[in-house]
Amino acid sequence: MAHEPWYTQMVHGGSQMNFKEFIKDYRVILLIVLLVASIGAISTLGIQQGLDLKGGSEIQLQLAQPVDTGTMDKVTNVLDKRLNAFGVSDVQVRASGNQSVIIEIAGVQPQDVAKLVGTPGVFIATIDNQTALNGTDITTVKPYSVTGNTWSVPFTVTLQGAQTFAKLADGKAGTPVNMYLDGNLVSSPEIGADLANGVPSTDVQVSGTENSSAQAQAQAKNIQVVLESGALPVSVSIVGINSVSADLGSQFKTGALVAGFLALLVIAIIIFIRYRTPVLVLPIMITSIAELILILGVASVTRWNIDLAAIAGIIAAIGTGVDDQIIITDEVLKKGIQTKRTITALKFKINNAFFIIFASAATLIAAMLPLAYVGFSRGATGIGLLSGFAFTTVVGVLIGIFITRPVYAKFIVLLLGKDKKEDKSEEASVREKRTGKQPKKGKKGKGKKGRKQ
Amino acid sequence: MSMIDKILDSYKPLIIIPVIITLLALGIILSGGLKEGIDLKGGSIAVLQLNEPVSNDQLISMVSNSTGVPADLITSTTTGNNQSTVQIAGSAADVVEVTNAINSVATLQSYNSVGPLLSKQSMTQVYYALAFAFLFMSITVFIIFRHIVPSIAVILAALCDIIIAIGGMSLFGIPLSLASVGALLMLIGYSVDTDILLTTRVLKRREGTIIERAKDAMGTGFTMAAAAIGSMVALYLVVLFLMPNAEILDQIAAVLIIGLMADVLATWLMNLGILRWYMEGHR
Repeated sequence: MAHEPWYTQMVHGGSQMNFKEFIKDYRVILLIVLLVASIGAISTLGIQQGLDLKGGSEIQLQLAQPVDTGTMDKVTNVLDKRLNAFGVSDVQVRASGNQSVIIEIAGVQPQDVAKLVGTPGVFIATIDNQTALNGTDITTVKPYSVTGNTWSVPFTVTLQGAQTFAKLADGKAGTPVNMYLDGNLVSSPEIGADLANGVPSTDVQVSGTENSSAQAQAQAKNIQVVLESGALPVSVSIVGINSVSADLGSQFKTGALVAGFLALLVIAIIIFIRYRTPVLVLPIMITSIAELILILGVASVTRWNIDLAAIAGIIAAIGTGVDDQIIITDEVLKKGIQTKRTITALKFKINNAFFIIFASAATLIAAMLPLAYVGFSRGATGIGLLSGFAFTTVVGVLIGIFITRPVYAKFIVLLLGKDKKEDKSEEASVREKRTGKQPKKGKKGKGKKGRKQ
Repeated sequence: MSMIDKILDSYKPLIIIPVIITLLALGIILSGGLKEGIDLKGGSIAVLQLNEPVSNDQLISMVSNSTGVPADLITSTTTGNNQSTVQIAGSAADVVEVTNAINSVATLQSYNSVGPLLSKQSMTQVYYALAFAFLFMSITVFIIFRHIVPSIAVILAALCDIIIAIGGMSLFGIPLSLASVGALLMLIGYSVDTDILLTTRVLKRREGTIIERAKDAMGTGFTMAAAAIGSMVALYLVVLFLMPNAEILDQIAAVLIIGLMADVLATWLMNLGILRWYMEGHR
């Protein structure tokens, strides 16, 4: 008895089991504790919603060639700075593999996205139509300053860049430096006298005067962003945009809730039709809802994004959960195990049910592994977008088989164990008839296996 | 004698039914081909909230003029709630150009574009994911049952489900997309549930006759299938009426409905048939 699996331990006491024992069982206590913890986590930490639910954009950039980690860090840093400078606060820039970058921006309308990253940023500064500086010459850009209506952005350039610039700027104080980003003229500040003496300087600055201090502020910010983005070590191009408005996102959320509710209702009706026992509908519903809360709890603690793909995963997990509960119920209700002791029979039945449940869970997890692998190794590009689906399904299935299903099994034993006691004599007569293969008819069906036809 | 008993009596010829449907599905796939979604083929998809009534043709010409993409590569469909979906095949159109094109009559609700490079990567990943999912599932089934014929029966049933589901995608114009691939992967793991139930009950139990055990399993299996198909139909209908643009959920639900219905036939006609044949041969 000492080494039997946990899912049959619940059968001890069998028909004598009562509600008090049920509540005291460690699996039931574990479920209740985890439920409370999940609700606590969800209400304090919240659930991180995917971009397709809260509205926002995801942009996938491809670098011209694969780069090492250091270069990749520089690329993501520059992009991050650039987006922040544009006043976008909730932005995430992360590398995916060694050649792609994914940018997530929350709460931005789709049409504004391209303005932010639509120009991947090739920076060129010209003097008299000759290239004086380009993006790779810029090493660091310092914070801009504004005094009255005058602004300035200091930055440092490479020695080589400084020499080219100095040669071209020699004796040309007051000549405009035309700064282009992706071929568009963004600013043309004039060369200061200190830079027109032909001496190379790696510390340079651009400055200008506007009509108001607000304009000066905006222009300084703009120039700083241009200079920073020009410093991308490799050229990048947009390969994918996925953008959803907040309106559509909330439409998706409502829809998902309604769909979940309706799905539960459909399952309730089917369970009722099959077993004709309203009291069975409730535990199956409660178990499904408990699984939903636990999955969301895990997502909340791990800061996992719940997006549409994850919702599909939750549906899949709860769907297999309902299947498993049907299997448990049918096994426990099944007649024909030839034994005098109800307890042994019940234990045997639960064992049978859990063999099928573990086998099903194993195949589902096996099928999800490749997807999860792509998601974790490559990040959320391509099919990795579905990693949320795989992750949620696997987590949901694990929660199901280890936490909620044993409790359900215990509950069913408690519920039907009582029935067993009441119609014990009836059962005995059925057992005798069984060899004659008589179809049972006219049974009131309480706790009976309702056969099809 | 009930209908189920009659069906159970002539199980050998009935194996052929799922096989024929699978072959038909293969024929549909080979002749009709499979549409590819924007996320795999590359291209752009824009969901618009219309501010005034605009015909699909008008929308197409507006977008075509602005982006320079030939009009025959652009499709537009109205999805209710005054929303339209514009698809631009082949190219990742510039979001600014598209926005400018429709600015006067609509606002952009969502925009999704995938360049050719990304789509090529995804396509390779799709094939690998499907192949490995099926392989891993098969290995798991072999480990569970450790009998060659019953394991192969389960795996064949799963293969039928996948092929029939893909055939259904071809027939109903459901594109091969990340979402439908997700559904196919789910089907690989999900559809074998009833096969495992059946094989366990028939192969590993000793009480009752094979037919009795099979009928017991059938009762459970039909309830499982009804619950799964029922909840997917609910999801599909909600998406259809409440959120026509949630294509991920729409495609997952549709593929699973087809696949799970195919699974009912594959499990109870083919898998059970092969299993009985095998068990009776071993008497």
